[in-house]
Amino acid sequence: MATHRDVVCPFCGLGCDDLTVKAAARGLTAQSTDCPIAQDGFGRMRPAEPPRVGGAPVALEDAVRAAAGALGGSRAPLVAGLGCDVDGVRAALALAERLGAVVDHAGSEGLYRNLAVLQRTGWIATTFAEVRNRCDLLLVVGPDPAPFHPRLYERWVAPAPAYREPGSRAVVFLCGEPAERTRAALAGVPVTVLPGAAGEVGDAVAVLSAALADPAAAGGEMGALAERLRAARYAVVAWAAAGFEGAHADLVVERLSGLVREVNRHTRCAGLPLSGHDNVVGANQVCTWQLGVPLRTSLAGGVPVHDPHRFAWQRFQEVADAVLWISAFRPEVPDFPVGKPVVALAPPGTVFAAEPAVFIPVGTPGIDHAGHVFRGDTVVALRTGRLIDRGLPDVATVLNAILAALPQEVAC
Amino acid sequence: MLTKLAGGRVYDPANGRDGEVGDLYVRDGRIIADPGPGAAPDETVDLSGKVVMAGAIDIHSHIAGGKVNIARMLMAEEHRAFPVEAEGLCRCGGGVASPSTHVTGCRYAQMGYTAAFEPAMLPSNARHAHLEMADIPLIDTGGYVVLGNDDLFLDLLASGAGEEVIADYVAWTLNATRALAVKAVNPGGINAFKYNQRRLDVDEAGPFHAVTPRRILTALAGAVQRLGIPHPLHLHGFNLGVPGNVEATLDSIAAVDGLRLHLTHVQFHAYGAEGDRRFSSAAARVAEAVNRRPNLSVDVGQIMFGQTVTASADTMAQMGNTGLAHPKKWVMMDIECDAGCGVVPFRYRDKAFVNALQWAIGLELFLLIDDPWRVFLTTDHPNGAPFTSYPELIRLLMDRDYRLAKLAELHPALPRHTILAELKREYTLGEIATMTRAAPARILGLSDRGHLGPGAAADVVVYTDRADRKAMFEKPDMVFKDGRLVVRDGVVVALARGRTHVVEPAYDPAIEARIARHFDERMGMNLRHFRIAKDEIRGGDGLVRHNCTPGAF
Repeated sequence: MATHRDVVCPFCGLGCDDLTVKAAARGLTAQSTDCPIAQDGFGRMRPAEPPRVGGAPVALEDAVRAAAGALGGSRAPLVAGLGCDVDGVRAALALAERLGAVVDHAGSEGLYRNLAVLQRTGWIATTFAEVRNRCDLLLVVGPDPAPFHPRLYERWVAPAPAYREPGSRAVVFLCGEPAERTRAALAGVPVTVLPGAAGEVGDAVAVLSAALADPAAAGGEMGALAERLRAARYAVVAWAAAGFEGAHADLVVERLSGLVREVNRHTRCAGLPLSGHDNVVGANQVCTWQLGVPLRTSLAGGVPVHDPHRFAWQRFQEVADAVLWISAFRPEVPDFPVGKPVVALAPPGTVFAAEPAVFIPVGTPGIDHAGHVFRGDTVVALRTGRLIDRGLPDVATVLNAILAALPQEVAC
Repeated sequence: MLTKLAGGRVYDPANGRDGEVGDLYVRDGRIIADPGPGAAPDETVDLSGKVVMAGAIDIHSHIAGGKVNIARMLMAEEHRAFPVEAEGLCRCGGGVASPSTHVTGCRYAQMGYTAAFEPAMLPSNARHAHLEMADIPLIDTGGYVVLGNDDLFLDLLASGAGEEVIADYVAWTLNATRALAVKAVNPGGINAFKYNQRRLDVDEAGPFHAVTPRRILTALAGAVQRLGIPHPLHLHGFNLGVPGNVEATLDSIAAVDGLRLHLTHVQFHAYGAEGDRRFSSAAARVAEAVNRRPNLSVDVGQIMFGQTVTASADTMAQMGNTGLAHPKKWVMMDIECDAGCGVVPFRYRDKAFVNALQWAIGLELFLLIDDPWRVFLTTDHPNGAPFTSYPELIRLLMDRDYRLAKLAELHPALPRHTILAELKREYTLGEIATMTRAAPARILGLSDRGHLGPGAAADVVVYTDRADRKAMFEKPDMVFKDGRLVVRDGVVVALARGRTHVVEPAYDPAIEARIARHFDERMGMNLRHFRIAKDEIRGGDGLVRHNCTPGAF
C-alpha cells in the first residue's frame, strides 16, 4: 500500500493537483477530496486484462495486427474518442493522417459550442488564477457547472481575490440553481440567484445585454444585475456550454461573448467558457497546432478539411466504415452503429453493448503512466504522474504499433 | 563519416570569411578543421560557384504557444483557403500567417533557416509552447519567457525586494520554464489593463501594485545583466503602434542607462506624430540612438502587404487595435496572473498611407542602422508579415532599384514622408549573412550556431548566386541540418528533429519558498507541477544548454 500526495487529477480539466491517492491491492482511492469525478476516476481501476479479437483473448501483437487489418482496409474511417494524453493524441493524428480518417473527441459537443463562437467572432476570455485573484463579480450563466467541474468554486471562487482591494467577491447565478455542493463551497460568499429555465438562457442574456446601456431604465432584476456588472472592477461570466439545452446552443455562447464585450465598454470583464473533460482541450490544442484546424476534421482528401457539423463523431459514425475509439480516461464507450468494425482502446473492465472487433486495454494517463493533459482554461498544461503499474500499454504505444503494422503506402 | 563541401564561396562573418572560395569538412554533424591531405572524405559535394552560409536563425517569430493556436482558430478562412498537402516527408496541415507545425518547420527549412525562436512564452503557457515546438520538424527552437507583468514580480518590486532577490526570481523562472532569454512586453501595461487602464506612462505608478514601468524595465534589464544571460532583455516597448511612441522608445533606452537592451520589432515603436497626417517616421532618431550606443540591438519587425494576423501578449495595445481587425473578429485573454494575449487579424494595404509608411519606416531602420551585428531581420511573424516573406524583404534590402520600384507602387503621399528614396545603401551578401546568421547566434549566446568554424553544428545552406535575391533566398540548393542533407532544391528529403536551446542561470534556492507560497496561496497549483522537467523537453532528447556568465557584460 502506497500513498501518493499532490497527485494531478486528469479527469475534468480543472487541473486539481492536490490529491492524496491511496494505492492498495484492490485499487486506488482518492482520499483528500469528496469530488465525485476524482473518486470515480481513481476508484474504478480494474486489474489488467488481455486484449480481445472477436471476443477471444489474444496477445497484444495479435490485437495490433488485427486492428491494423480492420482499419487498413477502410475507406472512411473514424478516429475518435481521443480521450488520452498529448502523446496519445499525437499518435492518433499520425494514424488518422495515414488512414485518411475523420478525427474528433468524445466530448467535443460542449467545446464546439464555444469554438464556433471563437472562430466566428472571437471573444474576451480569462483563466482560473485570474478568476481567483482578480474577479470581484462572478456571473454563472445556465445550469451550474458543478456537476461537470465539482471543485470549481472550492478552488477558484471561494478563496478571496489577492489582487483586489477590498479582497471580496460576489457570485450571481442566472438561469441555473446552484448545486448543494456549490452552496457549501460558497458559504461566506454573497450569492444571488436569478432563476430561469435552462432553455431560456439565450433570451435572458439578450435582456441583460440590452439592460447594460441604461440599467436604471431597464429596472427589475436584470437592470440591477446590469448595474452590478457595470460597477464591478473585473467581472467574469462563466458557463459550461455542455449543459445548455436545445439546438444551436452556440448562439447562446455568442450572446454571452457579446455580453462580455459590452461590459468591457464600461469596465473590465472576461468570459470563462468551461470544458475540458478527458483532455478534450489538449486534444483540440494538438490537433490545431499539427493540422492548423481544430477537431472535427477530415484527412480523407489529403488535406485537413474542418467542418464542425459534418465531422462531428456522432454524425460521422453513421457513414464511417470503421471506427477507432480511444477512451483512456473512462471504461465507457458509446453504442456504435452495428455492422462496422470497431477497434476500441479503453481501460480494463470497459463494458460494450456489442463486442468490438478488437479491444485493447490501455492504461490511464496520470494513473498507469505519466502524460500531459490540458486544463480547461486552455493555457495551462500539466504533467500527470504514474501511480501504479498494471502492465497496461499507453495509447501512444498501441497506436504507433498499429501505424507500423499497416501496409506501407503513401497517403496524407 | 567525413563529408567535404568543396569549393563554395563561403560567407561566414563570425570567422571573417566574406565570399572567399574554400572547403568545409563535416564529421558527425559538426564542422571540423581541414583534416589534411591524408584524410579521404566519404563524400565530396562540389559547390563551386555556389554561395555557402550557415543555417539562418530567426530571433523573433511567434511559432508556438497558446496565442498561435488561437490565431489558427481565428484564421479559419485562411486554413480553408490554404490547406497544405503532405509533401514527401512533410505532413499535411495548412496556413500562411498561422501555419501548422509541420508547415512551419518545412517552410523555414526550405528557405535555409535552421532555427527560430518563440519570443513570447508566458510562464503559465511554457509547457504548451514546448510541447508544440517539439512538433515543429527540421529547425531548432527555444522560448523567451515573458516577465514584467506578472503579479508576483510586481509584488516583489512593490515590497522593495533587492536586486539579488529579483535576479533569483528571474533565474528561477528561466530554469523552471526551460527558456533561453527574458522578454518584457509593455512592462506594467498588461497588468494595468486587467484593472481597465488603457494607457500607462513610463513614470506612472500602475494600479494595485503601484510600480512604474520604468522600475520594472530597469529591474529586469539589471537582473538579466547580473545573471550573465547571453541575450539582453528582449523588450517589446511601450505604446506599440501609437503615433509619437518614439519618445517612449528613446525613454526606454535612457531608462536602462547603458545596460544591454534588445528592442524588438522596433519598427512598431519608431513613430512620430508630425506632419499633415500626424503620423511620421522617427526611424532616423531611433537609428541614431542605436548607432551611438553599442549596448543596444534591435530587430525590425518589418511589415509586408497582405493578410496576416497579429498576436501579442500586449493586451493593452491589442485592445486598442480591435477596431482595425480584418476580418472583424478578435480575441483577448487575461492569463494566469502572468500576462495576456491579444489576437487581431489584420490586412496591411499598400494603398493605405499608414501601412505604406510603416513599410518605409522598417526599411529606413534597416538602412540607417550601420552595424549589421546589431539589427536583425524579422517581420515579427506573423505580426508584420508571415516569415515566408523574408526572401522578398532580403531583395528589398539588397536591391535599391527594386526598392524604388516598389516604393513607386505605394500610396502617392508616401514619398513626401519618407527618406527611403534617398537611401542608397544595398546590403551585401556578407551583411545578410551577418544579420541572419552570425549576429543572431552571437546575441543569443549560441556559440556553436550561426557560423561555419570548427566545432560549429553543421547547419549549412548552399545557394545559387542569382541577381534576383528573392529567388535566391526563397529556394536554396541544399540545406544541411546537423550535417544531414534535409532540403534539396526546395524539397524536404529528410526529416531531422530540432533541438531546444535554454539557459540555466544559477540562483539562491531560498527564493523557492517565496514562489511556492505564491503558488499555494494564489495560483491553485503546486510549484513542483509548474516546473518543467528536463525529460519533458522533446522526450528528454534535444535540450541544449548555453552558458551564463555573471559579470561578463
